[in-house]
Amino acid sequence: MPFLNRRSLLAGGGLVAAAPALSGCAGLTQRVSATTAGRRDLLSVQVYGTDVEAKIYDELARRFEQTRRGVTVDLVSVPFSEASVGIDTGLASGTAPDVFRVDYPTMGVYASADQLLDVGDALDDLSGDLSEAFLGAVSHDDRVYGMPQHVDTSALVYRPDVLRDAGITAVPDRPEDAWSWDELADVADRLTDAAPDGSSAFGVNWQALGAFRWLNFLFQAGGHVYSDDLTRADLDSPEGRRALEFTASFFERGWVPGSTSTKAATYPDALFTSGTLAMLYAGNFLLPAFAETIKDRFEYAVTYLPRDRRRASELGGNALVASRTATNPDLAAEFLAFMGEADQMQAFCEAAVLLPTRTSLLDQQLDFAVAADLMPVYADQVTTIEDRDVADVTTATFAEVNLALANELEQCFLGGRSVEDTLAALDEQVSESAALNVEDGAR
Amino acid sequence: MSAPTVERPADRDVSSEARGRAPAPSRGGSLTAYAMVAPNLLLIVVFLLVPLVWALVMSFQAKRSFGPGRWTGLDNLTRLVGDDVFWRALLNTGIFTVATVPLSVGLGLALALLMDRALPGRGVFRTIVYLPIAVSTLVTSLVGLLLFDETVGIVNGLLRDAGIGPVSWQTDGRLAMVTVVLMTLWTRVGFGMLVYLAALQDVDGEVMEAAEVDGAGPLARVRHIVVPWLRPTTFFLVVINLIWSFQVFDVVYVMTNGGPGYDTTMLVTYAYDEGFGAARNFGYGATVGLVLFVLTLAVTLVQVRLNRKVEES
Amino acid sequence: MSRPMRFVVCVLVCAVFVFPLVAMLVVAFTPRELIFDGGAGLWPDRWTTANFTGLAETFPVWRWFGNALVVATLTTLLAVAVNLAAGYALAKLRFRGRGLVFIVVLSTLMVPTQAIMMPQFELVARMGLIGFFWAVILPSASTALGVFLARQFFLSIPVELVEAARIDGCNHWTAFLRVVLPLAKPLVAVMSLLAFMTQWNDFLWPLITLRDPDLYTLPVAMSYLQGQFDADYGGLMAMALVSCVPLLVVFVVLQRYFVAGFARSGIR
Repeated sequence: MPFLNRRSLLAGGGLVAAAPALSGCAGLTQRVSATTAGRRDLLSVQVYGTDVEAKIYDELARRFEQTRRGVTVDLVSVPFSEASVGIDTGLASGTAPDVFRVDYPTMGVYASADQLLDVGDALDDLSGDLSEAFLGAVSHDDRVYGMPQHVDTSALVYRPDVLRDAGITAVPDRPEDAWSWDELADVADRLTDAAPDGSSAFGVNWQALGAFRWLNFLFQAGGHVYSDDLTRADLDSPEGRRALEFTASFFERGWVPGSTSTKAATYPDALFTSGTLAMLYAGNFLLPAFAETIKDRFEYAVTYLPRDRRRASELGGNALVASRTATNPDLAAEFLAFMGEADQMQAFCEAAVLLPTRTSLLDQQLDFAVAADLMPVYADQVTTIEDRDVADVTTATFAEVNLALANELEQCFLGGRSVEDTLAALDEQVSESAALNVEDGAR
Repeated sequence: MSAPTVERPADRDVSSEARGRAPAPSRGGSLTAYAMVAPNLLLIVVFLLVPLVWALVMSFQAKRSFGPGRWTGLDNLTRLVGDDVFWRALLNTGIFTVATVPLSVGLGLALALLMDRALPGRGVFRTIVYLPIAVSTLVTSLVGLLLFDETVGIVNGLLRDAGIGPVSWQTDGRLAMVTVVLMTLWTRVGFGMLVYLAALQDVDGEVMEAAEVDGAGPLARVRHIVVPWLRPTTFFLVVINLIWSFQVFDVVYVMTNGGPGYDTTMLVTYAYDEGFGAARNFGYGATVGLVLFVLTLAVTLVQVRLNRKVEES
Repeated sequence: MSRPMRFVVCVLVCAVFVFPLVAMLVVAFTPRELIFDGGAGLWPDRWTTANFTGLAETFPVWRWFGNALVVATLTTLLAVAVNLAAGYALAKLRFRGRGLVFIVVLSTLMVPTQAIMMPQFELVARMGLIGFFWAVILPSASTALGVFLARQFFLSIPVELVEAARIDGCNHWTAFLRVVLPLAKPLVAVMSLLAFMTQWNDFLWPLITLRDPDLYTLPVAMSYLQGQFDADYGGLMAMALVSCVPLLVVFVVLQRYFVAGFARSGIR
């Protein structure tokens, strides 16, 4: 550049020349991104998850390549925290991957913003083998936008030795025997009395992005987030009050540690594995991690979630979706259908220790890689998920609801706010964002 | 004793000329001028003015961070007006501004006066005070976390050694705000001192001496000569600190992330969370951003108006 | 206030101001276990360099450094070129629309980027710049401060100089290049240093546009590490130290220019 004098030009030039030597031309002339659009015979797929999941995804991708000659699947696995950022940016710049993994609530956001491919036809076969609830989880406006690959849910993990020592002998081993809330309260009291200093009776997995798991208690009490038509919140109800009073009592009566409220930065799994908790509301996806960190240090088992008016647990899990701007939509839809076939779904769920969505597979006893003896409880727990539960958490504004839950519940649990005020605040915030639900849906 | 009049020295005239009445520039050269100005203009128009207009448009739309926007008229605005979190963010930004601006400017002045006259090691002292300017906000914030961490932080460690119980810098909303303010002041005071020192260079030595001979004590000298002299500098510092405080983001994002609860949520962190957080709500985020724009505009316009009034007088 | 008194006060004030940096230095060399155990202290029992080696082993720190260097250098080159030119034109050349240009440049002060970061992001994404450093470099180049500094400097250059060059047969362009620019060395130094420093430390915009960890500049990398390290202050301080030392050294050595730039920014 002619402006600068010779010396500064040399200096600047030297720096510019040296810099690429440090970082290559990536970023200057070469795009650096984890998401790329595909081509006619190249399918770009982005997934996230554990190493085990990445491996099984890769295996299944190769299987697909073998059934379709000339097609390559470019599978990339990224850390969960980077996944949605990458997708969002990709959608904004037109470089989104053809296929990607996403959780059900986030899928609702993409579907309502018209970013996903309609795959209803390709998934015809799968749809026949799905419960209403799971089909609803991937539908928007009566059209199917994704392949529900697996479902996760919570159950009550506990330590038989600690319970025995506290004098609790009867732990439910049949669904119909699941503890009632009163029975849970009794168990919790006994555990708290017997607990050494620094230990607690149990912990609940409703931290940060998991705040929606509080809804399990709401559903168990018979309540719901929205009215039937999803236009208004229905939280400020007798059921809502009952659920909030019960859960607030966890903290009041010292059953759960103060550090496990909804805005805590860490999850309570570490507390369970280190022996501080006697019981933990835990998702089935934690079982492999438990197997590795707990090993033989102590015995642990799983029982059904306590019930109130009904049994309920949350819809977790992920789906595979295709971008509406996929270069080869037919190929993308084929891939989704392939991954949804019974063989593939079974292979995936068994390796990753996750629950399938196909009813036919749920009825079977899958040969899970780890903790096979504990999975049947989860498999049964999954059957308690109802349509309306799913509808409550897959609206376009679920993210706002999740955030409102985390903030308001924290105020109630730790901030001393009354149940009435908290419910009123929650109801207001959810109603406000509900307005977006209707308009988004009424396209 | 009446305040002595201060003659405006020569270079003050230059700066008043710089405000708009430049010495007659060379004739012609239009083509060259356009060529020289064009790249700058292009960058500004494309990357600043176009997004500004677009932000206005977005605030009337329901728009995610991807996909097309849908017209919703005043919905975002009505939501803003009824949004408790927004008002809290506005209040917090106000509190933060009130806490940082007077202190940044006042302490800057105090330190400038302190280090103005000869002192052994003056250069070292000054460097230490404005060194934090070169330290990025990220490093400042991380060090702030180190200092004020409730469990393993240095401050609580020192307090513990002194026998005082742990102070809840993270869980108490007001204390969290204090930590953010303190770290911000650490970076701002030096700048104020720097600017004041430069302005103090020009204080007319003769007038000061005359006043001293007249019997004016140091405090009176400061009040009646120095402070009025520094009025334009003070004005500039107040305005720029105001604007910086309205725009606070980095320190809050790293140290408290708006928490606990919404106790340290600021305008920009709220806009960022709405737009780039889980809600992905660009329309609403843009609306919050526009509030910031209006505030900045208001401050700048007031500054221009007051500047003009000063010039006219 | 008497001299010895002022000295004492200065020492106290500076002790307070230097305290955070000292803390950072000390903790960077403190073993992780000591921090978790009893909390960070100002004089640990043991010193270690494990924080640094651990950092370099697990994370692409050199790459981040390279990124920061590339981005800051390119932005500085572009910024100095663009702002210098505009400043000169506004100071010394007469052309139609000069007042309008001045107002447009002024507007950059009134429009905080935080207010328009969302459409800015979408614009940059649609232009296909995401995934490149250009997403950071291009929007950051033009600054009002840069233009004003240049303008103020060029105003102080006597018009006769330019006139003399013109009489000698130069056109405006050559007059600028041959006659005025060589005098602007201190200006270029100030503008370069300010631009470099601002870009090196910039956080929000790179956070928004640099989406891939391989592209991170140092502030974004530090924020990323904050999430990775949790409460491992040893590692965090090691990174912080490594990030700020280069610029601090440059700043201290070339203080004169930085100070001149900041001080002048107060006079419009």
